[in-house]
Amino acid sequence: MKANPKDVLTGVYYIDGDVASGYGALAAGCKFVAGYPITPSTEAFEAVCHRGPQVGAVFIQMEDELGSISAVMGAAWAGVKTMTITSGPGYSLMQETIGFGAMLEIPFVLLNIQRGGPSTGVPTKTGQADMMQSRWGAHGDYEVIAISPDSPQEMFDYTIKAFNLAERYRCPVMIMSDECVGHMTEKVVIPEADKIEIEARRMYNGPASEYMPFKPDPDLVPKMARAGAGLNLYITGLVHDEKGHPVKSANYKSAHVRRLVDKIRLNKDKIIELKEDGTDGADVIVVSYGISSRVAVKGVEIARQKGIKVGTLRLVTVWPFPDERIAELAQTTKAFVVPEINYGQVVFDVARCTHGKANVVLVPHGGAGVHNPSDVADAIEFAAKHESPLEGVHEFKTRLEKSVFEGGLKLKE
Amino acid sequence: MNPIINILDKGIEQSGVDRKTISIPSDIPFPPDAVKTLRIDYFQTPRGRAIAFGTGLKLGNPALKVIPIVGDLMTLGGNHFVHGARRNMEILVLCINNFVYKKIAGKPLTSANPEFSAYSTFEEPFNFPHLGNSCGAVYTARWTALHTKELATSVAEALSKRGLSMIEILAPGPNYYRTIDGVNSDILQFYFDNSIIKNNEDPRNVAITPEEKIVVGTFTDRERPTFIDSYNLQHKKILGDKFTPHGAAPTERGGKDG
Amino acid sequence: MAVERIDDREIHPMENLLRMDRMPHIWCPTCGIGIAVTAFTAALEKAKIDPNMAAIVSGIGCTGRVAGYVKLDSFHTTHGRPIAFATGIKVANPKMKVIVFSGDGDLMAIGGNHFIHAARRNIDMLVVCVNNFIYAMTGGQVAPTTPLAAYATTSPYGCVEPPFNIPYIADSSGAVYVARYTALHVRRLTNALTEALNKKGFSVVEVISPCGMYYSRINRLGDGLDMMKFYHDNVEIRHGEDTKNLDIGFQTKIICGKFVDRERPSYMERYNQWLSEVKSTRKNLDAPKGAEGEG
Repeated sequence: MKANPKDVLTGVYYIDGDVASGYGALAAGCKFVAGYPITPSTEAFEAVCHRGPQVGAVFIQMEDELGSISAVMGAAWAGVKTMTITSGPGYSLMQETIGFGAMLEIPFVLLNIQRGGPSTGVPTKTGQADMMQSRWGAHGDYEVIAISPDSPQEMFDYTIKAFNLAERYRCPVMIMSDECVGHMTEKVVIPEADKIEIEARRMYNGPASEYMPFKPDPDLVPKMARAGAGLNLYITGLVHDEKGHPVKSANYKSAHVRRLVDKIRLNKDKIIELKEDGTDGADVIVVSYGISSRVAVKGVEIARQKGIKVGTLRLVTVWPFPDERIAELAQTTKAFVVPEINYGQVVFDVARCTHGKANVVLVPHGGAGVHNPSDVADAIEFAAKHESPLEGVHEFKTRLEKSVFEGGLKLKE
Repeated sequence: MNPIINILDKGIEQSGVDRKTISIPSDIPFPPDAVKTLRIDYFQTPRGRAIAFGTGLKLGNPALKVIPIVGDLMTLGGNHFVHGARRNMEILVLCINNFVYKKIAGKPLTSANPEFSAYSTFEEPFNFPHLGNSCGAVYTARWTALHTKELATSVAEALSKRGLSMIEILAPGPNYYRTIDGVNSDILQFYFDNSIIKNNEDPRNVAITPEEKIVVGTFTDRERPTFIDSYNLQHKKILGDKFTPHGAAPTERGGKDG
Repeated sequence: MAVERIDDREIHPMENLLRMDRMPHIWCPTCGIGIAVTAFTAALEKAKIDPNMAAIVSGIGCTGRVAGYVKLDSFHTTHGRPIAFATGIKVANPKMKVIVFSGDGDLMAIGGNHFIHAARRNIDMLVVCVNNFIYAMTGGQVAPTTPLAAYATTSPYGCVEPPFNIPYIADSSGAVYVARYTALHVRRLTNALTEALNKKGFSVVEVISPCGMYYSRINRLGDGLDMMKFYHDNVEIRHGEDTKNLDIGFQTKIICGKFVDRERPSYMERYNQWLSEVKSTRKNLDAPKGAEGEG
C-alpha cells in the first residue's frame, strides 16, 4: 500500500531528527498521537501537534506518560495507527503498559529520544543507556523490535519502517534514538507519497461469530480487529487463549508466551537490518548504533590511515539481535570494538555471540556527550595489536575516563 | 460484580444505544460469559488505566460509546479521572466503590469481630461526586447496588450525555469486605436501611461519613463542550478549510484498514 | 529595609535561608518564581519555623529548582512525585515541617493523583503551587492550567482543554487551607504562606506567576512588567469566595484571596487514634498485622 499524499509533506527540508520523526509518523498514516512534554523529545510531539490537525491526525497531551501510553493502546484497538513520544523518566513510567501492549499484541510505535540518566539525569544531553530497558523493561517474557537511526533523514525513513514492522508483527516497535540525533538539524528529503510503501493493518474480514483475536496466521501473527465492529471483543492482559479468554494452565502459558517471542525470533531474518562496510576479512570490526556509529566513522578513518583493516557493522535494528551474523564474523575477525554511550549494554550481546572466538572491547562513555573519535581509533589499534584472548568484555580506558578517574574517583573540571 | 453487570445490561437496553458501538475498558476482570451477554467489546487494562485507555478508544474512533469501569477507589487512576473530567472526554465512568470502612451511618459495621475491627482503615474516603463535579464532569450520580432501577436509569441517562459522566456504585465485595470487617449482616439490607435519596443535592454535601446516612441520587447534570467539540471548534477557527473536523465521518477515517 | 554589608559585600536579607553559593539562579528575568521564593523565606521567618526541622521538596520544572536554592533540607525529586516523597518524610518523621514547592505542570498534571490523595488524607504539609499557565522548562507546552484558546507549542492553534481550577480541586479533595495570590501581591502572599505554615493539615497556596519567556511571549502579552500591570488591573481580592467561582480564563479577571480555612483531623492524628484503638483492643499486640487474604 502506498502512503496517502495528504499525509506526506513532500519536499526538501532542513529540520531536526525529532521533527523528521514526527513527519515520518504522519506519512506512515499515524492518526493518533498521545504525548507528554519531556526534553529532548518534545519537538517531535510539537511537530505532530502542528501538522496533525491538517492531515486528520488527532493529538492529545495527556496528564502523564502513563496516560499517554494507555491512550495509545486504546486508540490502536479503536482501529488507528498510533504513536507515543517520550524520553528518559517517561520511558521508565511507560514500561508496565509496554508489557501490556506486547501481551495484547498491539501495534504501536514508541519514539524514545534517549537522554542521560538515571532518574532526571541530564535532560538536554545524550545517552544510550536505555537499550537494555527497551529489551527487558517490562516484567515477563516478550520480544520487541528496536530501531536506532543515526541521522534526521533516517529518523524520517525508519519511523515509517517502524510503523510497518509494528503492523506486520503486531508488536511494540521502539525507535531508540538519542538526543544528538533528535536535535541534529540536517537536510531531510521527504519523497512523494507513491514512493513510500506503508503496511496496512492486517484486519479480520470474516464472519463476526468466528473471530478469534489471538488466532495466529501461519507466520504466528494474529489478525487485528477494531472495537465497535460487533465482534464482541474480550481482550485481557491475563494469559489468554485464542478467543482472548483468560486461562491459567501451564500449557496455555507456554503456548501463548512462546508465540509472543517466536513471532519475532522466527522472523528475525526479515526484521533485522544491518549496515556493513568492509567486514569481510577485517581484523577489527566496530559494532555500533545510533549516534555512536556517526562518531565511529571518524575513528575508523583514523585507524584505516594507520593501515589497520577495520570493518564496520551498524545495528540499524538493535533488537532482535543479529546473533548469527556476529557469530559468523567472529570466526574471521580478531576483535569487535563496541563504542556506546553507557557502561556496557549491547556489548554483552556482542560478547555472547562471539562464543569466545574473538576479543570484545567496549569503548564506554558516561553520557552527556559523545565519544572522542581518537578513543575509538585507539581502541581499534589496541584490539588489532592484542593477540592473546581477553577475558570477557575488555573495557577500554578512554581519554575522558582517564582524566576524570585518574588516581581514584577524582572529578576534574 | 454480577448485579452490576445485570444493571449495566438493563441500562444499555434502556438507553437504546447500539451495543456494537459500546466498549468497556475495565481494570476489574469481567467473566467472559458476562461480556458475551452484554454483547459489547471488553478490554481488561492494567490497573488504574481504564480511563486513559478509554480516552484513546474514544479519540481513535469518536463513534464509540466508552464506559470505563474503575475499582480500587481510583487509587491508581485518580489522575486520569480528574483530567478526563477537566477535558470533558465523552465517556461514562463507573466507579465501583466497595469501601472497606469502619463505621457508617453512625453504626459500626464491625460488631461481629472486634479483633478485626481495629484493622479497618483510618483514612477518610473521597467524595467522588464532589471531586468529579469540581473537575468538570457533566453528570455525577451515586447509587448502591440495591438501587437497581434508579441505577439502570442513571446509566441510560449518562449514556446520552455529551461529556464525562460518572456514577459511583456502592457495591458489596462480600469476600473481602465481610471477612476483613466481619460483617455478618446482609450488606444489601444495610444499604437499604442507611441510604437516602436526595437528587440534585449539592455534591459538596454528599461525603460518606460515619455519622450520616449515605446520600444517593443524581447530583450534577449540566452541559459543557466536550474535548472533541473544543478540538474541532478551535482548530476550525484557526485553520479553516485546512482542518478536517475529527469524528465528522468516522467510517471514512483512515480508509478501510485503518 | 537597609542593605546590610559584610566585608563590603551586599548581603541578601534572606541570606540565612538561601543557598547563596548556588546563585545566580536559573530563572529568567521577569519570572515570578523568585518573588514566590522571597515571600516564602520571609514567611518561614515570620512563622518562626526551625530551618533545621523543615524540608522542602520540589519536582521537575522551573519551580522544581526552588528546593535547590532554599537552605532547608532540600530534595529535587522526580517529575510529579514531590507530594508522594514529602508524604514519606512527614509520616516517617512527623516532627518535620514539610513544604512542597513546585509548579502547575508538576503538581497538577503528572502529580495530580498524589495531590488529590494527599489532600484526601490531609497529610500535614504546605504545597506551594506556582502557576505560570505553561510548561516553561521544556519550552512552552500546554499545561492543565493553560487557559482555553491560549497558545502554547503543543497547542499551536490554541488550547482546546479547559484548565483546572486549582483551589476548587484542592477544596473538593479535602485541603484545609486554600489561598491564591499573584506574584504582585508579595505582602498578602507572605501573610498567606505564614498562616499556611502554621496550619495543621494539607494547605495549598497557588501563586500566579508571569512567564515572560514562554507564556507571555507565545501569547504576545508583553514582558513581566506588563503582566504585573495586568495583575494590578485585573485581580480582585475576595476572601471566602466559593471555590467553584475561581476559574481563570485567557486574560480574564483573576480572583485572589483566602478561600478555605477549616479544621479536619490530619493523617497523623487519625493514625495515632487508630493505633491507640488497636492497642486498647488487643493488649498483647506489638505491631499491627496485615489483613489476611490475597498477598
